[in-house]
Amino acid sequence: MQIYHFFRRLFNRGETSRAKNGGLPPEALAALIKQLEHTQEVELSCDEVLALLDQFAEAHVRGEDAARLLPLVQHHLDMCADCREEFEALLRILQMAQD
Amino acid sequence: MSIRTNEQWLADLRSPGPAQEAALADLREVVLKGLPYALSPWLSADDPRFQSLAEEVVQETLVRVLDHLDTFQGRSQFTTWVHKIAVRVALTELRRKRWENLSLEALAEDEMAAPPVRLMADPASGPESVVEGEDLLERLRRIIAEELTAKQRQAIIATAIKGMPLEEVARRMNTNRNALYKLMHDTRLRLKRRLAQEGLTPDEIIAIFEER
Repeated sequence: MQIYHFFRRLFNRGETSRAKNGGLPPEALAALIKQLEHTQEVELSCDEVLALLDQFAEAHVRGEDAARLLPLVQHHLDMCADCREEFEALLRILQMAQD
Repeated sequence: MSIRTNEQWLADLRSPGPAQEAALADLREVVLKGLPYALSPWLSADDPRFQSLAEEVVQETLVRVLDHLDTFQGRSQFTTWVHKIAVRVALTELRRKRWENLSLEALAEDEMAAPPVRLMADPASGPESVVEGEDLLERLRRIIAEELTAKQRQAIIATAIKGMPLEEVARRMNTNRNALYKLMHDTRLRLKRRLAQEGLTPDEIIAIFEER
């Protein structure tokens, strides 16, 4: 990812003190900027998504466009690795039950 | 095992006695059947640790199911709702064990891994783009140093780079994952607004770096 390499080249120009980099190494800074790009005013929290995850997963397994039906859930799953792992685990169970 | 409708599950689980016992026994089997699939990326069902973890998860799941029965809204299959609870219990426990002895500070201070080897060299940057990039970087550094606490910076390093689960970061910050997600969301919004005040948007920053 070029943004990462740009940050790394600039950081390697001598100022390597963590405090001078806003306290973030280049990889973390690049990841943060990418997250900011996808940040929305309204985002569901993990608990709110968990409450909807069973519906969301079943819609997905039925072949419905779950992301369109519950876009805020999809967005949170895009932003939150913990919730995404749980969604994928639930999906594996439902897909097993289908087979 | 008999097949129950959502209403039958609820009715049986709500009536203490043989009906409830039978329903709990059946639910136990439902959960145990799903767990190998849920945990397959991290723990095989053949692994000696699987059985004891599965037993812990089943116990805790059944307790939570009974405690939260009134929150089931019938928008999915009851068994899906139960599997969801089991998944949360199981993954929380797996994460706790996996990250047990690692502190946020240790992760943040750890040497960064070498960047991935690229097959093609980056195109050379002209001097003007580097100077423009440096000014931008200085501004980013300043903004981040002002807007993020040290703990928040550690949390970002831990999650984005080291792959620490959010709930493990939350545990170390004496909070829970839900509260931490909200906190980080507020922080991201604040950062985004602050950048906008300085005449920058995230995609502009990315574009400036990636076009060079």
